[in-house]
Amino acid sequence: MTKWGMVIDLDKCTGCQACTTACAMENNTLPGENWQDVLFYHEGTYPTAKLTWLPRPCMQCENPSCVTVCPTRATYKDMDAGGIVFVDWNKCIGCKYCMIACPYGVRFYADEQPVVEPDVRDVFPGEGQLWAPPYQSPESDARRGIGIQPKGVVSKCTFCYHKVSQAPEGVADLDEDNPETKEYVPACVRTCPPKARYFGDLDNPESEVNRLIADQRGVRLRDHTGNRPQVYYLGSGADVPAYNPPSDS
Amino acid sequence: MDKANTGISRRRFLATTGTTGALTAAAVTVGLNGPRGEPAPAQAQARRPNTRITKNICAQCPARCGIDVYTTDGRVHAIYGDVGNPISNGKLCPKGHLGTYFLYDPDRFRGPMRRTNPNKGRDEDPGFVPISWDEALDIVAERLNDLRARGESHRFAHFYGRGWGPTDAGLYGDWGKLYGTPNSAIGHASMCAEGSKRAKRATDGNDSYNSYDYANTNYILNFGASFLEAFRPYNYLMQMWGKMRSKSPQTRITTIDVRMNPTMAASDRAVYIKPATDGAMALAIAHVILTEGLWDREFVGDFADGRNHFATGETISAAAQMAVTDPETGEVTTQPAEGSGFVELWTHGLVDWWNEELKDRTPEWAESITEVPASTIRAVAREFGTTRPAMAIMERGPTSHTNGTYNGMAIHALNALVGSLFAERGGMFYQMGVPYGGLPVNADDYLDDWARDGAWKEQPRIDMARTERWPMTAHMMQEAGPNHLAGDPYKLDTAMFYYTNPIWTAPNPQVWEEALKDVFIIETSPFPGETAMYADIILPDHTYLERWQDSPTYPFEGWPMTALRVPAVDPIYDTKHFGDTLIEIGKRIDGPMGEYYREIDNVENVLRHRARGFEDNPGDNGVNSFESWAEKGVWYRKPYHWHHRRGKFYEWDGEGYNIEMTEEEVKQKLLRTPSGKFEFRSGFLEQHADYIEREMGIPADRVGLIQWVEPVHTGGAGDLYFVSPKTPMHAEGRSGNIPHGIAIHQPMVGGKNTVYLEVHPDTARARGIRDGDRVRIRSDIGSIEAYCRLVPAHRRDTIVLPMEHGHWAQGRWAKGRLPGHSGDVTANVSDPISGLASYYTGKVTLERA
Amino acid sequence: MNNGNILKGPLGILLLIVSAGVAIAAFAYAMMDLMAVGHRSFNTSSQMPWGQPIATYLYFALASSGLGMIAALPLVFGFKQFYPLAKRSIYLAFIILISGMAVLAMELGHVFRMLWVMPLNMQIQSAMFWMGVFYIADLLFLLWKFQKMEGKEWDSKTSRQIGIASFLAVLLASGNLALIFGMMSMRPFWFDGLMPIYFYLTAVASGLAAVVFFTYLAYGFNRSAMPAPMRAMFAGSLPRLFAAVLGGTVLFIAVRAITGLYTNNPEIYLVWRDYLFASPVYQASLWLGIVVPFVIMLIAGLRANAGIQVLVSMAVFAGLFAERYFFVVGGQVVPLFRGTWEWGLIEYTPSLTEWALTIMGSAMLFALYAAGERFLNLSAMPDDLPAASGREATA
Repeated sequence: MTKWGMVIDLDKCTGCQACTTACAMENNTLPGENWQDVLFYHEGTYPTAKLTWLPRPCMQCENPSCVTVCPTRATYKDMDAGGIVFVDWNKCIGCKYCMIACPYGVRFYADEQPVVEPDVRDVFPGEGQLWAPPYQSPESDARRGIGIQPKGVVSKCTFCYHKVSQAPEGVADLDEDNPETKEYVPACVRTCPPKARYFGDLDNPESEVNRLIADQRGVRLRDHTGNRPQVYYLGSGADVPAYNPPSDS
Repeated sequence: MDKANTGISRRRFLATTGTTGALTAAAVTVGLNGPRGEPAPAQAQARRPNTRITKNICAQCPARCGIDVYTTDGRVHAIYGDVGNPISNGKLCPKGHLGTYFLYDPDRFRGPMRRTNPNKGRDEDPGFVPISWDEALDIVAERLNDLRARGESHRFAHFYGRGWGPTDAGLYGDWGKLYGTPNSAIGHASMCAEGSKRAKRATDGNDSYNSYDYANTNYILNFGASFLEAFRPYNYLMQMWGKMRSKSPQTRITTIDVRMNPTMAASDRAVYIKPATDGAMALAIAHVILTEGLWDREFVGDFADGRNHFATGETISAAAQMAVTDPETGEVTTQPAEGSGFVELWTHGLVDWWNEELKDRTPEWAESITEVPASTIRAVAREFGTTRPAMAIMERGPTSHTNGTYNGMAIHALNALVGSLFAERGGMFYQMGVPYGGLPVNADDYLDDWARDGAWKEQPRIDMARTERWPMTAHMMQEAGPNHLAGDPYKLDTAMFYYTNPIWTAPNPQVWEEALKDVFIIETSPFPGETAMYADIILPDHTYLERWQDSPTYPFEGWPMTALRVPAVDPIYDTKHFGDTLIEIGKRIDGPMGEYYREIDNVENVLRHRARGFEDNPGDNGVNSFESWAEKGVWYRKPYHWHHRRGKFYEWDGEGYNIEMTEEEVKQKLLRTPSGKFEFRSGFLEQHADYIEREMGIPADRVGLIQWVEPVHTGGAGDLYFVSPKTPMHAEGRSGNIPHGIAIHQPMVGGKNTVYLEVHPDTARARGIRDGDRVRIRSDIGSIEAYCRLVPAHRRDTIVLPMEHGHWAQGRWAKGRLPGHSGDVTANVSDPISGLASYYTGKVTLERA
Repeated sequence: MNNGNILKGPLGILLLIVSAGVAIAAFAYAMMDLMAVGHRSFNTSSQMPWGQPIATYLYFALASSGLGMIAALPLVFGFKQFYPLAKRSIYLAFIILISGMAVLAMELGHVFRMLWVMPLNMQIQSAMFWMGVFYIADLLFLLWKFQKMEGKEWDSKTSRQIGIASFLAVLLASGNLALIFGMMSMRPFWFDGLMPIYFYLTAVASGLAAVVFFTYLAYGFNRSAMPAPMRAMFAGSLPRLFAAVLGGTVLFIAVRAITGLYTNNPEIYLVWRDYLFASPVYQASLWLGIVVPFVIMLIAGLRANAGIQVLVSMAVFAGLFAERYFFVVGGQVVPLFRGTWEWGLIEYTPSLTEWALTIMGSAMLFALYAAGERFLNLSAMPDDLPAASGREATA
């Protein structure tokens, strides 16, 4: 059975945030509602300061802590969809417990104060959905949290399931450089300029993602959580520094 | 809206009376036999049957990435990189995806408008009222005809920033010639990146940015080019970064900058340098390369005796080379030189350079100037000198200072020393032109007496570029406003602006705010920028997703390339292609000029004629006509035609680099200096020796030498260097009004609805400033406010404020957003040689607000 | 009957009208905001999803549980001296839970959807699911028990069985509520298997504060107006119990603070150092709302004093509200993976709308309470209370 996985090579990632904007436009998220985010960390002082960054999508965990806390099964892991964790917007009651329970901070309650004013939701008001950007994607599937969300529900990265689901059966890798699969690649992977991202089937031993994980010693972020992400990191930088308040630095 | 005004089109009426009007302009047909509507073949297949993909070029920076624009039922909903475009290769930077905000910006101008409030200023409501295109064009034409009739046609000026090619900026030359103004057009180059171009002009004779073979280089020595933030073409650079960092051997990268940034962080070695002193470090690197014998002998040459005589503090001599005529055959040959003198091959002036400048430019000397430890300089020099291919790159960091050209020359000299110019692999080149077809008519055949011999020909440009005041510059836009204000050389009457907003972007823009009050201003931007708030007439352009437009590439890999914009949707408002606006005004000018423009007719016609050039030069992707160009979105033809290999230059013969070039051919085509060599002693600068001596105090007999020149910092008594870099989110002129861009603008310190001033904690503490405080940045020309973040990764003497916000127009998201605009504390001082505005050389004071 | 109960008179009507008015006004204000801009009117965010409304709900729910446990003292465990507050406690537990649920309802994204998706999907792995089950059971048993008391069925077999069931429901509900937080290993500030014990203790403390305050309120803060067994209780066993429970609370907070400050884990020690102890409000609520009341209640000469008891109950009322608030927010203030987007601790202060919900819940509680005092006999107790309580009063 297909198990979609992503590999992110931190030695190639340039921290540009193209993944973030490609995702935002593909999935019509609000400004600052970064399903795919890039987090920057500072350590040290001039002239030996260290600046690192970490692109962070939803980890689509094998053992997702967000799923079991959901009182309504609105959040679920769909094994028939490659193990992607979805939010069913028709079932979500907006209790936000999944946001508390996600150790990676990749769930969003968009019905909150805007990061940027004027609020785009007022500029492009929507009926029955939180807003209606003029560039709204034609894709929508409320059962999987695809499209523009209604009020009062939680949203998250879907691995661009509306694209991925169209991929030919049994394909090992969704590679944006392959014209046959380009359109089925998640937006963040497709656009990544230094090609720091790879997407494929973790259940297929022949897949490029498995090869990269094996050859380059892929690691999972905060593996001690036991959530077992389906996203792997290569290179240095997945050892995210612990939170350090600015007053202590 | 004035309902009696029947000149307003129905579309515009819909557009201005309801927001949904924009979206109902669904069915797209354009009067062109382009391939639109037909599904594009093979790889560009969209999944949804009613989704169409059109080719376009991103317009948010100069990179010119080819893009696929996805349109479903008349709505543009996605933008991805075009796989067939050699710059984007299917990829995009973070700005590219946000392009739909340009199309659907709710603050766009929806049609031509006329000003009703005669007063101009920051707080004056222009009182724009809609008018028809005919009315608008007639008003402009009448004004220009009157001006011409009065014999004052030179008082009309075009200003432009981002020109794309033959359909816009490419029209200016003929326009000025026919109308009779030296001011067609004033470009923004001097507020952009002229420093590196002039440095290359002065050393290798090419007034251009370089092309680079990054994919094959093994070492990059990066002086202040923010490779991973704003260096062009950013998207392509990141692709190359991915390649360089995963190829074998991995490309080693050393970055020298004045602040911590992603490029510094991702490099193998980050070297902090004191602002404006990069030239000193480059000279010291050159010194080490020479004294340690690491230079490329096949490009530079060698001592006749094969020994290295470069020793710190000691002079060398040139080898005397004598031409000998064979008494029997009459053949002239050069005798091999003898003794300890230096024999130069493809360079010129090395001996003088060493003797008069370089021999004392030790790493220890450079440490005292740059604050970079001598040991670091030595280590970098050894790495750079022993790794081939290697290249030294630079951009505005080192050149946006009063000593910018000399800094740039010193850096570029390193490329000559290690032989990377035109090198076979991993080298750097220049850009080949596109074999475009000609226009249907020649402007020279349409000149009337005034155009040919009118008094306007005696007039200098308003910006005084290319005059004795700025003899080595091409454009000096930043001078135009102040010059007009002073009436020197004259007062402008009318000015037309395209893709430029100097009332905000010029250094010391406060002067411009005053200067442009009495100029009749024609603004062509689709968006309400600051200059537009001074406009008397608004003639809004289409956004880039709505227009036909070609764009030859800026240098990137050398071979010629030109991409094409194909409209994704019909213009959603009553706008007009800038090129067509220009042509339509031209048609309304009395005399033969009007006839000329009737022959040109429209930009579509221009493009079709240009594309005819492809018939004989089909692109590598099969593009040989306008139609196939529109289908593929790009024409290009590899390879680059020349390279240097083991001391000799070769030209491409269609199959390989097999034609060895003569020295004369190299001088004609590649090293276009007076000597035909790479000049460590610049003939170009020596031609302007008196000017340089006067302006910079360098003795006339030394001006040609690549040398260390003390920078002149502006700003008055400030104790902190103030730099205002661009982040990757800086979409030229518009990112301040793109909510998704604002929200992630400054990830390095978390600037998500403002841009923070980045300050070293010690610097802040000394001024009683805490993290998050509102602070005031002050120079001798003004002050601005910002919120600050304490960033221990920066130099203590350098504060960093990414340039973006502080607009007083631009749209609902941009207007009034803190921090203030960095330009407001930036003095209008430029490098006398390149004319590049010294944006990064100001000093300021910092205090709690 | 209830001659001393001032809320049976015009003051009761006044309290009913005023608090109902406040509740309705607060509801209207919050509703208007929610209709207009949704949860944008909250200051919560995806980084701080649970704010003051959740803290308010938690406070009310636990106070209700505490009251249920207090009522169980006489009803389940046979501590007959506490009979005088049994009925009022059960009633208060009921209305305070209703009020808390009303606040929660306004906080949720889709409250009505909950009614059908929860039973249809039966996600038994979710503590949130069990919270629904247990609190509904709790509510029903409270109602049933109260109905039995109304029927003066103090000691029948069914009444006792219902009492036991109700007590178990209370334990399950509040214990499970504790686990909603305590099971979150990704939120180390909350992650604690003993969280239910802490919740039980503090629940009883807030329940005691509530019942003391409201009983005094009913009698115009005049102990002499109370029936004799009640007087005896207030003079003897109740303040001792109160002191003991407050002591337990102080102890629990202290051990949490000590372990929290001791650990190197920034997600815990920073909460204590930079958020809780750095906040004057937290400091005030801890010292004035919990520690000082505990000290006062330790002093035999003071704890029996009616005025002191009222003051202490009010202080504890407020102190524990703050404790709940800082507990909920404290678990979220350290940015989870936020990098530079969250430069420091996540800042949160409740919005006016969120305050409106807290006020709405509180006013609702007062209104329902005033109605209860007026229309029901909340001071009812078995007629055959042993004289022992009288003896204690004289002790």
